[in-house]
Amino acid sequence: MTMAEAETQKGFIDVRDMGVTFGANDNKVVAVENVSLNVQPGEFVSLIGPSGCGKSTLLSIVAGFVKPTLGEAKLDGKAITRPGSDRGVVFQQYSLFPWLSVRKNVEFGLKMAGVEQSKRNTTARALLDLAGLLSFENHYPDQLSGGMKQRIGIVRALATSPQVLLMDEPFGALDTQTRVVMQEILTNIWQQFKISVLFITHDIEESIFLSDRIYVMTARPGRIKAEIKVPLPRPRRAEMTDTPEFMNLVQELKGLIREESLAAMAPEIKDRGLSGFGMKVGPKGVGEIF
Amino acid sequence: MGSMASAKIVVLPMIDKQTDHEPVAVKPSATQSLGVAAPADALAPVMSEAPAPEPIPTVSLTEVMRGLLAKITRERIITAALACISIGALFLFWYVGTKYRLEFYIRFKNVPTPYEVYQQLTQVGLSNKYLVNIAISVRRILLGFFIAMAIGVPLGLAIGKYQRVRDLFMPVVEIMRPIPAIAWVPMSIMLWPNNEASIVFITFIGAFFPILLNTIHGVHSLDGVLVRAARCLGASEFRLILNVILPGSLPHIFTGLAVGMGVAWVSLIAAEMISGQFGVGYFTWEAYSLVDYPAIVLGMITIGFLGLACSGIIRMVGSLLMPWLAFAPGGKR
Repeated sequence: MTMAEAETQKGFIDVRDMGVTFGANDNKVVAVENVSLNVQPGEFVSLIGPSGCGKSTLLSIVAGFVKPTLGEAKLDGKAITRPGSDRGVVFQQYSLFPWLSVRKNVEFGLKMAGVEQSKRNTTARALLDLAGLLSFENHYPDQLSGGMKQRIGIVRALATSPQVLLMDEPFGALDTQTRVVMQEILTNIWQQFKISVLFITHDIEESIFLSDRIYVMTARPGRIKAEIKVPLPRPRRAEMTDTPEFMNLVQELKGLIREESLAAMAPEIKDRGLSGFGMKVGPKGVGEIF
Repeated sequence: MGSMASAKIVVLPMIDKQTDHEPVAVKPSATQSLGVAAPADALAPVMSEAPAPEPIPTVSLTEVMRGLLAKITRERIITAALACISIGALFLFWYVGTKYRLEFYIRFKNVPTPYEVYQQLTQVGLSNKYLVNIAISVRRILLGFFIAMAIGVPLGLAIGKYQRVRDLFMPVVEIMRPIPAIAWVPMSIMLWPNNEASIVFITFIGAFFPILLNTIHGVHSLDGVLVRAARCLGASEFRLILNVILPGSLPHIFTGLAVGMGVAWVSLIAAEMISGQFGVGYFTWEAYSLVDYPAIVLGMITIGFLGLACSGIIRMVGSLLMPWLAFAPGGKR
């Protein structure tokens, strides 16, 4: 237990007064504005918001791919400047190396770290066993289904024992049934590893089911609109999605997101767009409207 | 709590399979409907067969294998038959043309018959001169091709990866590329101290640009998420190039190698005909000068077979180095 406690000391993500601007002068686009958020060690935090609100940009900054225009992101007090194996990343697109077998994919991070072959092998096999895919260790990624690929993506990111796991809509490309199962798998894996997770999604149920805390972002420029704690007990189970507590959270988040989705699509759309553009179409077509 | 979580994970793959491929969910309903249709008769045989279920799968497996084998051999037979037909048609055209000395704009008057060429092969084929010519051509090809590969692939990777390297090299590449290797013959003779080096250089020029450009294309067509994934997993710049960009570009590199090998042969034969001593191209041109018509055709066929062998070897090495391509979307299988 002392080991686990020592481990949970690490993995504190701290984002302060973050601002991201793309382009210059006339083409300037403010993607993210004045965002502060944190992920406590061992905490599962989701970032939810309408498309184009800059949530993926925020994750890219924490991953070290993008430099913020203003503010900074820190991991355990150290400023994040570039990608590194202390932060595991799972992408929305399948990102397994097609030329490596499943096991070699999981071994990749360890190989980069200079871990010897026999040790890499043992670790990779243990992780594949955890993901229920040990029998596929010698397959190539192209032989697997989408759900399997993402499970391997997750254990590959965990192989180097990172302090945090950053997930950018990892189940976005999967069908609904696979997705629900993947959420259960993820919550189980997280329960075992007890590492910090920053999870990007636009799926409300998914964010509630998985998270301890949810940040809701506004439409562009992305700001933090609300922070919601999820009081559901751990470990999470599929049946919990039917409880009134869960339903209430869904309703609350739906309300918050809906406003922003409308704002994200276009300011003009508001109610006009939703009531059929407020048009009357006559027998001779659109010409007779006005 | 931990053990419970792990137990759950072990069970889950089955659920995943169920959602991914539906047959598992379909089967029970199928048997159920069967049972409803003929309850007594359908159930009885199932019960009696239950104690000895083993022979059923083995029989079906061998049947499946036999069916697969039959299919494969039939496919093979069709492929082989079509290959024979296409080559046979070519020979027939040649044979008929030379036998009846056809003249319809193209003239078969001086074209040697297949038999004359065969005789030429049995006489010349055993001679040292012919074999030495082949050996020299092959050596030139290998030298030129491997130098082109050794420079083209790393340079292509660097140009593809780094914008500044691209800015530096691409203007020169774009100017040099349209110049055909044959146009390099006079310059090459001036540049290089001996004939051999100048021919190897021309072969190199022919192979170089297809290899370089396909390598660059390979780097550019690599999915950016793989590069980001590698960086997240702690890959250094060197490791990134060696373990991600190179294998990721390999399919395009091999396309470049195959095309490069073809162009290298074209360039080599032209160079040997113009400036050469020895070589298959020289052999063919010399035969024309000496009015030895059967030897011309023998030279041409030799070039064809050497080119076929070279591209076959490249394809074989390619499929050995890239076994994953067999499963890639739109792949061979």
